[in-house]
Amino acid sequence: MQEFDVVIAGGGATGLRAAIAAKRAGASVALLTKIHPLRSNSGLACGGLNAPLGRDDSAAAFAEDIMLAGDGINDRDVVRAFTESARDDVIWLEKMGAPFNRDTDGRLDRRSLGANRHQRACYADDWTGHIVLQVLYEQFQRSGAAMFDDAFVTSLTVEGSQCIGLTALGLKAGKLDSFSARAVVLATGGFTQLYQPSTASNGTTGDGQSLACAAGARLMDMEMVQFHPTVFPGRYALMITEAALAEGAQIVNQKGEQVVLSDGMSREKLCLAIKNALQNGGGPVMLDLRPIGKDKLAARFAQTSELVKAAAGLDIAKDPIPIAPAAHRPIGGIETNARGETSIPGLFAAGECACNGVNGAGRLAGNILTEAIVFGRTAGEAAAAFAKSSPKKTFPTSRLSDEEKRLAALVGDSSANAGDSLGKVQADLGQLMSERAGLVRDANSLQGALDGIRGLRERYSKLRVRNASMVFNYDLISCLETGALLNMAGAVAAAAQARKESRGAHNRTDFTAHDDTNCKCHTIVSLAQGALQVATKPLEA
Amino acid sequence: MKYAFYTGCVSRGGCPELYTSANKVAGRLGIEMEEMKDVACNGAGVLPQYLSDPINARTFAKAERMGHKSLMTICSTCTGVMGAANMRFKDDPAYREKINKEYLADEGLEYKGSLEVKHLLWVLFEDYGIDKLKGEVKRPLTGLRVSPFYGCFMRRPAEVVTPTKEYAGRKSYLENLISAVGAELTDIAGKGKCCGFPILTANEANSLAMTAKHTGEAREKGAHCMVTPCPLCHLNLDGNQDRAAKQAGSEIDLPILHLPQFVGLALGFTPEELELKRHIVSTKEVETQVNMLA
Amino acid sequence: MQVTFKVYRKEPGKDAKPAYSNHTVELDGDATVMDGLLKIRDEQDATLAFRAACMRGYCGECMIRANGKTCTSCTSKVSSFTQKSPEVTVDPVRHMPVLKDLVSDWQSFMWDKVDRIKPWLEPVEPGADGESLLPESAMADIRKTMSCYYCGLCDEGCTVLPVDFDFIGPAALMKANRLIYDPRDTITRERFKLAEGPRGLWDCVHCFEASEHCPRGIMPTERIMAMRDKAFQMGIQNDSAARHHYSFAKSVKKSGWLDEGRLAIESAGLTNIKGLAKLVPIAAKALRRGKAPIPYIHHKSPGSAQVRRIIQKAEEKNR
Repeated sequence: MQEFDVVIAGGGATGLRAAIAAKRAGASVALLTKIHPLRSNSGLACGGLNAPLGRDDSAAAFAEDIMLAGDGINDRDVVRAFTESARDDVIWLEKMGAPFNRDTDGRLDRRSLGANRHQRACYADDWTGHIVLQVLYEQFQRSGAAMFDDAFVTSLTVEGSQCIGLTALGLKAGKLDSFSARAVVLATGGFTQLYQPSTASNGTTGDGQSLACAAGARLMDMEMVQFHPTVFPGRYALMITEAALAEGAQIVNQKGEQVVLSDGMSREKLCLAIKNALQNGGGPVMLDLRPIGKDKLAARFAQTSELVKAAAGLDIAKDPIPIAPAAHRPIGGIETNARGETSIPGLFAAGECACNGVNGAGRLAGNILTEAIVFGRTAGEAAAAFAKSSPKKTFPTSRLSDEEKRLAALVGDSSANAGDSLGKVQADLGQLMSERAGLVRDANSLQGALDGIRGLRERYSKLRVRNASMVFNYDLISCLETGALLNMAGAVAAAAQARKESRGAHNRTDFTAHDDTNCKCHTIVSLAQGALQVATKPLEA
Repeated sequence: MKYAFYTGCVSRGGCPELYTSANKVAGRLGIEMEEMKDVACNGAGVLPQYLSDPINARTFAKAERMGHKSLMTICSTCTGVMGAANMRFKDDPAYREKINKEYLADEGLEYKGSLEVKHLLWVLFEDYGIDKLKGEVKRPLTGLRVSPFYGCFMRRPAEVVTPTKEYAGRKSYLENLISAVGAELTDIAGKGKCCGFPILTANEANSLAMTAKHTGEAREKGAHCMVTPCPLCHLNLDGNQDRAAKQAGSEIDLPILHLPQFVGLALGFTPEELELKRHIVSTKEVETQVNMLA
Repeated sequence: MQVTFKVYRKEPGKDAKPAYSNHTVELDGDATVMDGLLKIRDEQDATLAFRAACMRGYCGECMIRANGKTCTSCTSKVSSFTQKSPEVTVDPVRHMPVLKDLVSDWQSFMWDKVDRIKPWLEPVEPGADGESLLPESAMADIRKTMSCYYCGLCDEGCTVLPVDFDFIGPAALMKANRLIYDPRDTITRERFKLAEGPRGLWDCVHCFEASEHCPRGIMPTERIMAMRDKAFQMGIQNDSAARHHYSFAKSVKKSGWLDEGRLAIESAGLTNIKGLAKLVPIAAKALRRGKAPIPYIHHKSPGSAQVRRIIQKAEEKNR
């Protein structure tokens, strides 16, 4: 058994930042990740980090833009906390070695992304996520926190209503181990692998959200799934950074005529506009990056160029790229407050797996990486403080053997699956969610989604993992991830069904306007006796 | 075909047989070489660029002054280091001007950026012509099994060696040469790898291991000898072969020929004329084969 | 299209013998090797182990060899390998120890090496208020080095690593480069010492394989050579490299040409009796064959005085 003050699940930007903060606060820290931190999904966030860095910008102006994008259900206190510390957190990152682009005075250069009304996103060409991840990993290693990679968290351990640790499967040794902790921070990322197509990486399967739910925590605003407007719809849909639009790219039809004027449009509105353009029968919609200019494309969009070439065989300096909106990142997640505390003492959550109300119903472009470092730090500090004041609880040894039995029961022989498979279930789920609980929904489609999910659950429960070894058993991992996705699907569909209005990222064709009387609140989903329950929660002032 | 001939350090020092054989071969083929006698070492990748670039600019300026368009080398390392320096001077006129101003002007010299740097091997294929060379072969090396060993700088970096598609053939000149003179190619995976010479001081064990690896591979595949266009490689592959074999716990005994010696044998020169006796690893096997061919 | 994959399999453990398993799957025309592997695991053999993360070619997690070509399985179209026959052989990356099937040991091959150089910035703490003011040119160069996504191709192509697994390798030296050239780092000298080794910076043979293999144009070989130049300028160098460089430079300064005999002696070290003794049999053999020039009594280039002036000027300008 391993013992630490703070155990963090998830090695992306948020998890790394949380680990650094917890270690600095004096806690003993372990970070668990199912891949290697440098391979995380954070690496694809391209555009930039918002912060009120400009002389004519301010935390208040930043907050205003966030509230606008949030379309009425942001929690003001979190927005205030976020916008007031963003500047310091971004400058910390710079001081720790982030090689952001500079202006001619040597100051951090900034772009304006999406609906930001100031140029406030500092950036590193179009490698911003990749660079931020590297700098955070450098400082994580400097902190001396312990790391367990190729480790998949299989369950949270709650004793007497407090979270006291977790169990994780080490893939290299093929052994399940228990981690006793005074505080656990979930930073496991989003769940948009739920949709096909989506911009998410293979492991973005809602593991943390599912674990939290099973442990008794709640999920908030799950119906708010952000779609990205400019995505190349290949086999693994490739997001093309909004920085392209910010620097002059245009959305055109095949004839080269502009079909959508994107200036300052929010992501949600842009997605709908492009979807409409596609449905109007005018042929494919394209993103033309050529107006940016060859030199700027070479200097500032090297990653985009490389990835578009790999995915589409196209050259952004010569060809317009076909685009369509695709599922991108969740706005909803594990319910937390501004400090990252969930409803379970000792359990914290931050980053894309969490929802603290900062984004309301819509995330402002350029916020995701800033959220990672602000709320990663906050959760890490809060977890360390909690660990300091919390007495050590004994980790019941029976939990490990129970968990071993549970995992062993998932394994069966080769005759078990009778032509069905995890891959088929995932593919069917992805198609179901895209068609019925995607960018646009209505009561019928959502009911269809819930029925479909039920059917898929039945299929899933009959499947077995046909690999008895625990060493790099990715079939087992896929099985656990599929289970998590099914949980996410149920939560998203149920929450979407409950919110009978359109707001932010949630678009209903049967309720097209805001319903501020009944719906100016959060949607809460929880699991009680295995069944999903939906409730509402008032906004924080 | 007129060239400014840059001998490099080793052909005037540790491998005098290279100098002799290069001159003999060029003379026979009518390749006019005007030896540059008052130039210096190009740095060989050991001297830092801030020292070697000015020295090389001086060499180039002198070659230009001698009226030449091409500078010929007989060493892979010279080709690579000087080729890269020349590329810098040609691609960045502002940099060339800076070097001219800060170092050469006081010496009454100026490099205008007009030279090309070519190894004898490239000259044979690109300027002389391999078919013409075939015609000059007096003693086809039938039955002689030869492994090629380029020396890193004759293959990389691409910007210097194969700057355009036109030069893609440079990656297989040695193999083509071996066939062209009637010998049998014994190809090895290590033909484009490193012989270990650059780290002889820093890490002798690794240096010798690399030599043993490549000469050992050629020996295992049945080669009679190896041919290399680089005298620095020769110093390790030949000079240190015994020690390398000892370290590897194997027997190698593979004769290593300089490029002009190999060509010279095919042109009809005797092993004595080409100074094969100077080698550390006995070249008897090659001489026996060659003598059988008369 | 119907494709047969011949996949490398190996159980964990040093004694396990590798073998190949064959799988025929039906794939779309634009399928990737990753799609093939996923289908095999999903429908035919759930014990097949391979890595997958971003699925878009930016993270390096899924590096494998398909028909001998090292690439990310997620961006490699199967159709590019089946031009001549509907068979694709999938192997793990060369030179990396294999943990299971296509899952290789990145830790010992690469991460451990990177860890050797203290791979993090040591900034001034606490810093002054506000962001550091820094030139874009310096930041652009660091972004270039940091665009490295640890694909391992430079280490895989390195000519030293196959004979010496403990050599630090170009990937780790690029991390050192990123930090050495960052104006905010406060431990440059220490980092150079860490990069030096043993088995570090001076063990590179600058064969240019690393630069040839890097898919992001980071030019690791050129950067390694630049770091050596910088180390030299800063007066940082390990003993044998120092002696070698100084002797080389001295020789060229004196006579224009390299005096190999002198270089061999001075690189070993004038007081290094053991090292010098090793040179004796080689020198003797060389002398017998009429090879070795006598050290120190070396022929001078007629241009040596001019060369010396240029070198002295260059040394002064770059002090």
